[in-house]
Amino acid sequence: MAPHSLRVVASTAKVNVVMTWRFFSWSGFALRFFTPIMTLGAAWVLYNLVYTPSGILGTGVGTGSSGYLSFITVGNAFYVFVFAAAFIVGRVMFWERATGTIESTFISPMSRLAYMSGIMVAAATNSLVDFTAVLLIGLAFGFRITVFNAPLFFCSLLLTAFGLFGIGLVTNAITLTFRDRTTTANSLMTLFMVFCGLVCPVSLMPSWAQMISKALPLTYGVELMRASMLGLGTVNATYDIVALLILGAIYFLIGAIALRKIETNLRKKALFSVF
Amino acid sequence: MFTRVVLAEAVKSLKIYFFSARTLFWALALPLGNGLYLYFLYLPFAAKSVDLQFSGSTYAIDLVGFTIVGQLLYSFFTMMLLAGSSFDSERWQGTLEALLLSPANRVAVLLGGALANAVNYMWMLIALVISWIFVFRVNVFVTDPFALLVSLVLSYLAIMALGMCMETAGIYSRLGSTIVSSFQEPMMFLSGQIFPLQSMPTFLLPLSYLLPLTFGLMAVRLALLGGAAVYALTVPFAALACMTIIFLALARLLVRNAERRAKKRGTLTQF
Repeated sequence: MAPHSLRVVASTAKVNVVMTWRFFSWSGFALRFFTPIMTLGAAWVLYNLVYTPSGILGTGVGTGSSGYLSFITVGNAFYVFVFAAAFIVGRVMFWERATGTIESTFISPMSRLAYMSGIMVAAATNSLVDFTAVLLIGLAFGFRITVFNAPLFFCSLLLTAFGLFGIGLVTNAITLTFRDRTTTANSLMTLFMVFCGLVCPVSLMPSWAQMISKALPLTYGVELMRASMLGLGTVNATYDIVALLILGAIYFLIGAIALRKIETNLRKKALFSVF
Repeated sequence: MFTRVVLAEAVKSLKIYFFSARTLFWALALPLGNGLYLYFLYLPFAAKSVDLQFSGSTYAIDLVGFTIVGQLLYSFFTMMLLAGSSFDSERWQGTLEALLLSPANRVAVLLGGALANAVNYMWMLIALVISWIFVFRVNVFVTDPFALLVSLVLSYLAIMALGMCMETAGIYSRLGSTIVSSFQEPMMFLSGQIFPLQSMPTFLLPLSYLLPLTFGLMAVRLALLGGAAVYALTVPFAALACMTIIFLALARLLVRNAERRAKKRGTLTQF
């Protein structure tokens, strides 16, 4: 069973990578960077033109212009990675349904999780291009890498991808039930992004928001990624790694169980493509 | 006939959007999340107000209020841009040719789609106003309710007129909705939604002044949070009124031209 699943992962990943780059367009590629560029631009204006540099609250943001803008740049690069990876994984079933292939996908004897893993591998690989591009764009806004902890960096990427996979499974389960694409996925992703500390340290958020943050794997992922490029500071890397692992496993379990139950239910009621 | 087309198109769009009651939950969650995202962007800064300079005066605007008004108008603006995908949807469903064969007034069709999105926006507005006012205690400072009313109505009309222009992109190109969506973030940046206009890099200001969102944000923020009276807001009011007329005329022209062009080239459904 394991070799078969590995073949499913590899072939699905290959198909998705080929599909992404075969129809590559520069305009489509550029459009993906509007949000991070605008956020970086807004942060630059806020820091340099609206508020005086002395007006920054140092807690967790670092000091000086490069400290704050590096904080924002890594957050945005992370956002692009999450967006490119989780959005694609989260919408798999929607597109299967929209293109009329959902029934044949579920008829095939392959493991659903292996199939989804293949898509995740392709999405994560592709999104690394976006991730690197945002870091390069960030250089123009004042982003500076103070230290580079390679093991921590790759560990954070890998574990975040695992957490995203769990989130993608949950999103798919919801999308299959709610029968829509943009509203569910957009809203869910926005809520995830808001509370994980992309543009503001979690410690500065209101207490109710901090409680939500602690339940999201992305919070720990972005903290580890910042620590790997901007220095550990007060970050407890071991705690973050363990938290990311546990939360990733919880989301994965919830997503896998929900997907299986929804599949059974849709089969029973013949609701895969007809409503 | 014109009114019937507007109403029919609006009802159709509303039914498509609210295909399930659960849509409502997500429709409320998205703008709330966007608003919080912006609010958190300000949190690392010690200041809790924004100095808004207008016509030689400086208004100290509550930071949360600044954010909520920005998010309210931007959400509306986004809804209007999304209305642009209605022609794209007709194309996907294979009904675009039938729609354009019908004697229905094209501007009425555009207006119906825009109206449906404006109605959808009401849900977002209610969610944002309730949540932000009660959770974050926004300091509202209104001295002239008429100025506030005029600000809202004119902003609404000007943004809706621009949305109607954007709708025609769906006939011009199969990338219509992608092109229109790509306008969202640049317009968000240029309009002064995130920071006051006096902080905008000078070379970008001419672009800012082409957007109804810029003047809408200016007028609503000053009327709702700065206590500005109607006479102090004549410039943004005049700009919004002019933009409404210009964009409505432009929408009519664009839809007529796009339809003629697509019919001549046979590109309504095939490319």
